[in-house]
Amino acid sequence: MKTIDEINDKIKNGDAVVVNAAEMVNIVAENGLKEAAEEVDVVTTGTFGAMCSSGAFLNFGHSDPPIKMNKTFLNNVEVYSGLAAVDAYLGATQPNENPEIGSSYGGAHVIEDLIRGKEVELKVEAYGTDCYPLKKLETNISLEKLNQASMVNPRNCYQNYAVAVNSTDETLYTYMGTLLPNFGNVTYSSAGALSPLINDPYFQTIGLGTRIFLCGAQGYIIGEGTQHATEADRVNGVPVTPSGTLMLKGDMKKMDPEFVRGAAMPKYGPTLYVGAGIPIPILNEDIASRTAISDQEITCRIIDYGVPRRSRPIIRETNYAELKTGKIEIDNMEIPTSPLSSIKKAEEVAELLKKWIQDGEFYLSSPIYKIPSKGCTVKPLEIKKPSLLVKNIESKPAIIVHPSDEVKNVASKLVENNINHLPVVDNKGKLKGIVTSWDVADAVAKGKTLLKDVMTKKVIIARENEPVDVIARRIDKYNISGLPIVDEEDNLKGMITAEDISRLIGENQNKKGGE
Amino acid sequence: MKARLRFSPSIVSKTIISDTIRIFDINFNILRADISPKGGNMLVEISGKQANDSILHMEEQGIQVFPIKKVVKQDEEKCIDCGACVSLCPVNAISIKDDWAVEIDNQTCIGCGFCTFSCPTKAINVME
Ligand code: SF4
Ligand code: SF4
Repeated sequence: MKTIDEINDKIKNGDAVVVNAAEMVNIVAENGLKEAAEEVDVVTTGTFGAMCSSGAFLNFGHSDPPIKMNKTFLNNVEVYSGLAAVDAYLGATQPNENPEIGSSYGGAHVIEDLIRGKEVELKVEAYGTDCYPLKKLETNISLEKLNQASMVNPRNCYQNYAVAVNSTDETLYTYMGTLLPNFGNVTYSSAGALSPLINDPYFQTIGLGTRIFLCGAQGYIIGEGTQHATEADRVNGVPVTPSGTLMLKGDMKKMDPEFVRGAAMPKYGPTLYVGAGIPIPILNEDIASRTAISDQEITCRIIDYGVPRRSRPIIRETNYAELKTGKIEIDNMEIPTSPLSSIKKAEEVAELLKKWIQDGEFYLSSPIYKIPSKGCTVKPLEIKKPSLLVKNIESKPAIIVHPSDEVKNVASKLVENNINHLPVVDNKGKLKGIVTSWDVADAVAKGKTLLKDVMTKKVIIARENEPVDVIARRIDKYNISGLPIVDEEDNLKGMITAEDISRLIGENQNKKGGE
Repeated sequence: MKARLRFSPSIVSKTIISDTIRIFDINFNILRADISPKGGNMLVEISGKQANDSILHMEEQGIQVFPIKKVVKQDEEKCIDCGACVSLCPVNAISIKDDWAVEIDNQTCIGCGFCTFSCPTKAINVME
């Protein structure tokens, strides 16, 4: 059929036929696969999504006297400088050193500011050596002044992604955006039919050395990305769960701020929106048929992010055509959807790449080696000390009260035992609520006498089979001093307090980031 | 029409609003209210034949009335049309157009600020 050299000749002569992946769906539907494969030379793809695993290698040049950078900060965001003397890696998700700024200005924002040509404050501490005597340095830098600024993203362009929903009754703030309680909304993060790796699902054309669109400049694929996986179930050739990934490299000095953006997922952290597009050479009919995949034909899974474990429950399967209607049905409820990646920008990426090729500004390259399409799985991280579960800890038997108790008796129980809260259970031992000294004080003030009228019915609980670390996060999040432990049937099993937890897992919480 | 009402502390405790609703037979929808002894602020939607007269009346009674066209402002430079805000709006004021641009309908918006908080690029601001 065709070769990449032949296509490049056509590009040179200005008569290559280039279409984007959305257009290809219609071309194949109208003209048939055979004709489309002959006619079309290149299909362009595009995505513009939050890609946390992104960053940049920077070289600052040597000061006089010279310094061996040890602790390095750009606009108060730490960059990793444990490589040589004046090299550093600026990671997108690094939060600000100032906890009040936290994720609202992090590594991703520094990357954007550099690409915008803004001045950035550089602060360095060092230990001083004979050859690098300087121990402190403060100055301003800009992209222009840096020797090199290479964006190197270890994991971009996920081939398909999970769709998120939240079954719990509290709002969750995740890397999949804000998830409303009780299946309040659904978020997804793939450009679907335009997405690069969905259009070449077996990596027939993509590999190390493939020239691509990266943040408005020409960049390169430099290998498979971290967590690259190939063994997931496939529908129409496309894995139904997050699978293939790419490592990308590009020159920040040539990038366009229109196609890169520092962002922050609320209460999660900073992330970088990266615009990436891959041209797919139509070398044969098989490759052509893969690029003709429509949103309808791309299956993905809705996952319950309410369960903070490695494997989260699958709610149902869906496809991008359904997600893109803006509504989706789960258990007879109609739920609004949000794309988290910008489909508008993804189209712009694919269109601009198309224009570059049509104008003879961009030539295709043959990869030196192809991204592996089989045999790659992602291993989990096994923790040496397995995560402790709530049921494994020795909790004291809880002191209990009943809904029919009188408030004054409850008050004396609180005082006698010198505690702040008591679980309320019915005759069968099922948890019905919780009462705090504040509730009691309030009841006395309002002249209420029965516990069932003053107790708090919505209780934050710990389930027996939850890891203690998850409970620690819950205690932190709600700023509470303890919570009741219940089994599957809501029977009260004990109480767990903040002190129990800090004794068990120690105080080493990192307060940076957050909001 | 949408308006922001400002009360001085001296009139917070008076029943001006309920009187106004009764006299002018208007639909009066309170979208947001922050009232304290120091005075108050209300975001309201007023409709009905005598809406304009009712506003004059409230002004006579000492309430400052500021008609508003925009409850939130979407910064076009910052917005990347990601759509993260769309499914979060409690009153469906945010929509995705055919070209995948994200638009906020200020007529529907109640200024709850939920989208403001969740926008990854902080592109939406509630107007004061
Ligand atoms: S969440 Fe922010 S950036 Fe995304 S579409 Fe809404 S306003 Fe624009
Ligand atoms: S402020 Fe509230 S009501 Fe207005 S658009 Fe945002 S989420 Fe919707």
